[in-house]
Amino acid sequence: MSDIEAITGRYLNITVDGRAYRIFYEEAGSGIPLFCLHTAGADSRQFRHMLNDLDLTKKYRVVAFDLPWHGRSTPPNLWWKDRYLLTADHYMAITKRVWEAIGLQRPIVAGCSMGGAIVLRAAFDHQDEIRGIIGLETTAAGHGRYNDFLHHPAVHGGELCATYTYGLNAPASPESGKRENWWYYAQSGPGVYRGDIHFYCNDWDAWNDLSRIDTLKCKVALLSGEYDYSATPQMTEDVHKAIPGSYFKLMKGMGHFPMIENYPNFKPYLMDALAYIGD
Amino acid sequence: MSEDFNLSWLGEFQKKANADRELGIVGEWFSTTFSVSFGSTRVAFKIANGRVEEIMHDPRFDVRAIFGFSAPREVWQKFFAQTPPPLYHDLFAMIMRIKEFVIEGDSLVAMQNARALHRMMLLMREAGIGNV
Repeated sequence: MSDIEAITGRYLNITVDGRAYRIFYEEAGSGIPLFCLHTAGADSRQFRHMLNDLDLTKKYRVVAFDLPWHGRSTPPNLWWKDRYLLTADHYMAITKRVWEAIGLQRPIVAGCSMGGAIVLRAAFDHQDEIRGIIGLETTAAGHGRYNDFLHHPAVHGGELCATYTYGLNAPASPESGKRENWWYYAQSGPGVYRGDIHFYCNDWDAWNDLSRIDTLKCKVALLSGEYDYSATPQMTEDVHKAIPGSYFKLMKGMGHFPMIENYPNFKPYLMDALAYIGD
Repeated sequence: MSEDFNLSWLGEFQKKANADRELGIVGEWFSTTFSVSFGSTRVAFKIANGRVEEIMHDPRFDVRAIFGFSAPREVWQKFFAQTPPPLYHDLFAMIMRIKEFVIEGDSLVAMQNARALHRMMLLMREAGIGNV
């Protein structure tokens, strides 16, 4: 048996903040651009089920990319002289530059976890340039996950980060989905998850900016997994309450990685959120 | 026993852990002694190459546990529930979110063995479901 998937991957060269980056992205489908942002310490492979879903790709051009330092996007030159610590400013700049360079017109920007955080910034800083956002496991500020063991010479970082995040899945999600995500995490470069968590827990605080989001211009859909203990349902619902006109759904029996841990259960929630955002 | 915890299922946990194919692979370097305190009932687990070699109830002070987990009965009851509630469903969830769940001793050793330790605690949960 053989089955060639419809996904195509390409490399893109961009310059952001004076540094050159070689970025990997993959895509499938045509229509409304749906631009997907992976979680901390992971890469675009987390979106493979969405990229392979004909129900989605017949209407949407689904695009997912690897942030620099992640997956198949290399770090910038002289990376060995830098301590990788992601900031909100840089994360937003890279993300916007990538969707512009690919030529996505008024995309829906969807992100999970730290991606679910930065989509809020896309909504308050770039709401005239996008159709809307889908925030999966979104927080306006996240605390409590940063620790020194995530990048420590006496600890296998890949195994620790993968195991540390495994528990964020819901207990009843299929083991295959949870383990696939574990593998992606284990493949992350040394210190990359820690550097992402720096953004997520130390640099990111959007509470004072949420009021700038106009949901008449930019729709905001927020989905939260019942078993997510990093971005708890309460934390996401608090964001929802702070954005008049936003959409919120609790995903029962779901964890922190809906698109990869249990796509069949996630799909109806995703479709409803996309219907809310509209064309 | 200093509290009337039913821990008879720990024998079942030992059998499960020692027959577990995954622990046999990932536990090769997991050799230590750690403790789990169920309320005031303390149990020490001597681990050798990912296998549970000995379970010591109410261990004497000369049993040197390198690290351990401690929580009151109410917390463990949720962890060992058939369907554990959110925040109590996983070792790392409790470490992060449940104040009463405490990691004691040298947490570095715990994190160095995170993969095997996490697997072992999942198997402990499976063996103890509904029994705590």
